[in-house]
Amino acid sequence: MTIQTSTRSAHRGETAPVTQATRRIKKPASELWLRNITVGVIMASLVLLLLIPIGIAFVGSFHDWNPLNGRFDFTGIDNYAALFADPTFWRASSNTLVFGILAIAGRVLLGLAIAYALFSKLSRWRTFFRTIFYLPTVMPLVAVAFLWTLMYNPQFGAINTLFGLDVNWLFDQRFSLLAIVVMTIWKDFGFAVILFLAGLYAIPEDVLEAASVDGASAWRTFWHIILPLLRPMLFFIIITSMIGYLQAFVQVLVMTNGGPGTSTQLISFMIYDQAFVKYNFGYASAIAFILLIITALLTAASWRMNQSALDTPRRRRFTHRSKEKTS
Amino acid sequence: MPIAGVNVTYDPNTLVNDGKPIELDWWAWTNVEQFQAIADAYSEIHPNVVINVVNQPWEDYWTKLPLELQSGGGPALFNVHNSQHENLIANMEPYDIDPADLEADYAGAASHLIDGETHYIDLGLMSGAIYYNTDMWEAAGLTDADIPTTWDEFREVAKALTIRDGDQLRQAGFNFNSGGHTMQAGLAYQLGQNLFEADGSTPAIDNEANLEVIQRFVDIYADGSGDPDFGAAGTDSFGQGLSAMTYAWGWFSGTLKNDYPDLNWSAFQTPVPEAGETPYALDRYNGESTFGINANASDAEKEVAQDFLRYFLTDAESMKELSLIFSVFPAYKPIADDPVFAENPALAAFGEIDRYIWPGPIPATFETTTATMWEEILFNGVAPEEALAAAQATIEKDLSGKDFVSSEGLYAFYSGN
Repeated sequence: MTIQTSTRSAHRGETAPVTQATRRIKKPASELWLRNITVGVIMASLVLLLLIPIGIAFVGSFHDWNPLNGRFDFTGIDNYAALFADPTFWRASSNTLVFGILAIAGRVLLGLAIAYALFSKLSRWRTFFRTIFYLPTVMPLVAVAFLWTLMYNPQFGAINTLFGLDVNWLFDQRFSLLAIVVMTIWKDFGFAVILFLAGLYAIPEDVLEAASVDGASAWRTFWHIILPLLRPMLFFIIITSMIGYLQAFVQVLVMTNGGPGTSTQLISFMIYDQAFVKYNFGYASAIAFILLIITALLTAASWRMNQSALDTPRRRRFTHRSKEKTS
Repeated sequence: MPIAGVNVTYDPNTLVNDGKPIELDWWAWTNVEQFQAIADAYSEIHPNVVINVVNQPWEDYWTKLPLELQSGGGPALFNVHNSQHENLIANMEPYDIDPADLEADYAGAASHLIDGETHYIDLGLMSGAIYYNTDMWEAAGLTDADIPTTWDEFREVAKALTIRDGDQLRQAGFNFNSGGHTMQAGLAYQLGQNLFEADGSTPAIDNEANLEVIQRFVDIYADGSGDPDFGAAGTDSFGQGLSAMTYAWGWFSGTLKNDYPDLNWSAFQTPVPEAGETPYALDRYNGESTFGINANASDAEKEVAQDFLRYFLTDAESMKELSLIFSVFPAYKPIADDPVFAENPALAAFGEIDRYIWPGPIPATFETTTATMWEEILFNGVAPEEALAAAQATIEKDLSGKDFVSSEGLYAFYSGN
């Protein structure tokens, strides 16, 4: 039996009968092999390097575990119970939240502002500035963190000298986390600039020209046309930044080691400290799992927000057209 | 060839591995050339033996080595740091040397005994001293006669070495920034307070002695002789010529030679609470350890390793060289009086060697938690009593379920808290 379906030719606008047999385009065996091998290698890597380690860590989070001496004693939910009663964990969690919000906000706002400035027809030497702004992104984080540690030095650091201040930036709990945030924004904003520029150049020129012809001011054009069209890129940057900043660790290790006290401890630093300094891998795994859950929830929430933001104009258009038809 | 050694001896006139060729690996994270030279000197006596010293960076060493040993592999010989004791000991072969002979020749060897067996000992001992800038000392009109022996005298000297320009501190008399925790663990011993209770496993942090130690140094800063905001680390500030005195362990003399070669400095013994009175202990010490032997190595490798161990432990010249390289006071008693050690200010600052305590390979939480405690006190305005209580709670939590037992009980003058 031949099942008849119809499809529309994209080029001719014709409707042509197609059989199931003709829908199955025969692929060369070599291509199938290549596909299977490629997908197989990727799947095997994911299982071997991601799923199995995550599974081991999950099991480990219920144990008193030190892989370096082979200790692996079941402790039930003790690690999780201890974790929620640990004031350092709550301090690290609130620090991570503050750090994430400030760093994302700084990266997005600075990145967007500079990208928009570079996008302007009035700007000159765009390639030069794009390179300059992107340079910190390609510098190793450890080197940047060391550099900023010297700049923050209260005796001979550039920042106090430049602004005539007398602040111990990294050892004063009022400023230490903020000092790390500023360094992180400086390191990362260049990447946001490049992404926003890509988003800006993807906006159809006729849309901007139409706004100009209609006499829209620069601010109205930005607010009502450019920003909504940049929304997918904006969410992409926010989500990738969020995932990255929830795992921020190197800058804390180099600049403050979590101090003074625990005022700059972030969750990732706490995981490192428990696993590789105190060899409490079970406890560290429990923290890592909490972090994984928080990251997954926040990422899912962000995706949903992005999707609903994208769906709203579509729904509006659909509703508008329906009303036109019924009237 | 003559037999070397005093109590532990080495006879170079015997064959090893029946003269058959054999090759051993020896892992080290530093001073590879010196260790290779020792291995090569041994190979000259026993040409059938080749020992390759393999450099493994510190960053990887303490994950790679335990995992290799656990899997039944790893090098036949490996250098040990006693902070990693817990992760290594299960795969270490005991030394085939009478512990009594080891104790007779090596200071502190008895403190490494586990069920009557030794797996590694100290080749040198490291502890704290006060380093001072001799130019600043002279500029303040101080002489050798002013070197303080008590903490009260020290406080006055710190004041004399301080230079202020109005409210601005220009030269700190004493700077212990980022080093408070290093002093803390050792100086409570001066007041008769051990790090652990008599059971050897309950931490003893929240007590009067530790409070007194904290208060002493807080008072020195309150005098204006130093400031928490004056340089991130006291040792760095000292090296940069901004602070006149700092407390540091022996490693610091190597740092000064390498990083600040133009600085004129010397060191004196850490002061004590009362003049003319020997305290319970002068300070805490830690050892630079001898190498370990892989329990999973073949019998032939172990036999050669044990022979090489005797050669190593009786090689006075190498012990002297290693002690100077590591800036440690030699544990090998036959060379302890060598004048070369008196010429090194950091080693000359050592007091009576028997009056230092090794608490054992204490877990890292002691260091990290007391470091946090000091930052809470100096920078976050937390009261010392409160900070001590928090540190006690954290260390107790970190040690719960662990089977660590302190070596304090092996101290010759031990007295339980």
